[in-house]
Amino acid sequence: MLEIKNLHARIAEDGTEILRGIDLVVPKGEVHAIMGPNGSGKSTLAYVLAGRDDYEITEGDILWNGESILEMEPDERAAKGVFLAFQYPMEIPGVATMTFLRAALNAVRKKRDQKELTTPEFLKVVRAKAAELGVSDEMLKRPLNVGFSGGEKKRMEILQMSVLEPTLCVLDETDSGLDIDAIRIVSEGATKLRSPDRAMLVITHYQRLLNYIVPDKVHVLAKGRIQKTGGKELALELEKSGYADFTGKAA
Amino acid sequence: MNVTPLKTKAESQLREQFDAAAANLPGSGWVSTLRARAMDAFTAEGLPNRRIEEWKYTDLRERLRDIPAPGTAKPTDVSTADLNEALGPLAAIDAERIVLVDGAYSADLSKISAEATTIELMSLAAMLEKAPPWLEGKFSADSGVVVALNTAFMSDGVLLKVRKDQDPGKPVLLVHARTASEPSALAVRNVISVEAGGKLTLIEAHVALPGAARGALSNVVTDVTLADGAACDHIKSLVDAAGSTHLATWNTKLGKDAVYRGFQLTASPALARNDINIIFNGEGSKLDLSGVFLARGSEHIDTTLVVDHAVPHCESRELFKGVLADRAHGIFQGKIIVRPDAQKTDGKQMSQALMLSPDAQFSSKPELEIYADDVVCGHGATCTEIDADLLFYCRSRGIPVDEARAMLTESFVGEAVEKIEDEDVREAIETLAIGWLRVG
Repeated sequence: MLEIKNLHARIAEDGTEILRGIDLVVPKGEVHAIMGPNGSGKSTLAYVLAGRDDYEITEGDILWNGESILEMEPDERAAKGVFLAFQYPMEIPGVATMTFLRAALNAVRKKRDQKELTTPEFLKVVRAKAAELGVSDEMLKRPLNVGFSGGEKKRMEILQMSVLEPTLCVLDETDSGLDIDAIRIVSEGATKLRSPDRAMLVITHYQRLLNYIVPDKVHVLAKGRIQKTGGKELALELEKSGYADFTGKAA
Repeated sequence: MNVTPLKTKAESQLREQFDAAAANLPGSGWVSTLRARAMDAFTAEGLPNRRIEEWKYTDLRERLRDIPAPGTAKPTDVSTADLNEALGPLAAIDAERIVLVDGAYSADLSKISAEATTIELMSLAAMLEKAPPWLEGKFSADSGVVVALNTAFMSDGVLLKVRKDQDPGKPVLLVHARTASEPSALAVRNVISVEAGGKLTLIEAHVALPGAARGALSNVVTDVTLADGAACDHIKSLVDAAGSTHLATWNTKLGKDAVYRGFQLTASPALARNDINIIFNGEGSKLDLSGVFLARGSEHIDTTLVVDHAVPHCESRELFKGVLADRAHGIFQGKIIVRPDAQKTDGKQMSQALMLSPDAQFSSKPELEIYADDVVCGHGATCTEIDADLLFYCRSRGIPVDEARAMLTESFVGEAVEKIEDEDVREAIETLAIGWLRVG
């Protein structure tokens, strides 16, 4: 279970306060959506969960399975099962996708006291999951994300998520920049990972992604706080009314 | 003769060493004259210093305080196993092997299986003793004081020729092994020629065997001539933890429709200066030069190249990447000259340094001298730290910070290493570079 308690965070460099007291609980087995206008703090929340050091936590706590993760480095969090699918996945020239996946998987397995996979075992795991997401062998040989289209990069994020088998999946604007077909492939990939052992936090600006990844709960984030919580129907209401009620501005 | 007195102890030592050794250096007749002339040129100028533009960042007058005694070429009991260990991954390459031990050609350790109809190999010392008149024309003109010193002191090296339209079929590994337990100064000259239509992959490996003294000084000049339609991949590897000073010069002349791909890995000398001088003498030729320089501590690596487009329709590419840690200093100077007649020249140059420490230094000086009006030429230089966003991305996937940094550093140098076409050679060089990066 993910518990976020009165979380305050600011940008380390200039002290701008972004998160102003977030309270949120996501039990295992559930998918929660965070919706909100631009600048509401959605991406900051995602980064703070993953441990990016551009932000300072000034108050509050984040507990994953009852344990505070605030003091953990990003790689320790990954080993504890935290995974962030980036809004803008990074390109790493000179590192083949397979090499990267293998380094990541072996690193988390090592920290989880699982044995490292042999090359044939690893290839088998990756190829099966890649096929489901329409990721070709050719893509796996290329340097990570280099020259990939927006849709290919997002599929690669979901592939990494499925290979690393996290228990807390945070999807940051996974639908941004994608056409409907790409959203469907990516969402199906993410939906396959729904399980009683796994919590998911889906961050999105638009409701459409939630047609594919149906959430158990929807939270509206604005001005750095959760303003409203409801069922999946809340997303549909927001689609009609916009975020004006929460930002104090006309839509 | 100008009689500017030599100013420093090192300069006087060089003159004295020459006067003492001249009679015993191989060759007489024109060879002696050549040496004496070169030594006079040195005596007139002294060691290069910061007042000479090309030596601004590598002031040898300042840095060379004490010149070790010239190495004595004596056969040492080096085993192939010792040699292979020092060569590391390069030893596994299926290659013709030529070995120089402390600057002297070793027939015992060299293994050449190619037919004499394909390649011709001679020890330079032996040829200097015979001093046939044609040999004089094989040496490039002394392009500076370092080459002049090499000409004066050269004790041995190899003459390697690939015959017309021939291809030895496998790379030629030219090993420069240092074994001497006392610091010594070596001057080695190699003369490589690929005749018309011939092909050669040459790997120059500079290694120190266990027990080799720190503080050695080597001056290695490689004169390369590619005739019309010849192709040569020239790879150099210097991975040296033994605190040596390495002065190396490639003087390469390209005929018509020739292809020359050069790569230099320079890792951890105390001081290295790599001069690369390329001249296009025939149209339609291509040059692709790349390199990786790796330095930590107070190591100093200077790569200075001059690419002279003397004729039209040639293409040149340069990509040099450096990783600099601690207080290391990397230098890249790249001059591209495009002569008035050299229309349709296509030249691109890039140098990039990755700084692993705030105290490391990178000096980059690209120079374009263009006298023709219909050319495409460009250059760029960057100096960066490891990208914090990329580092976070890797760590968010569970990769520990040290490994993530290593991975990103490897990917940085990988772009240059990928330029090596021969897969076995590329992998060996990659292994050597990664070995260096992972130690830090």
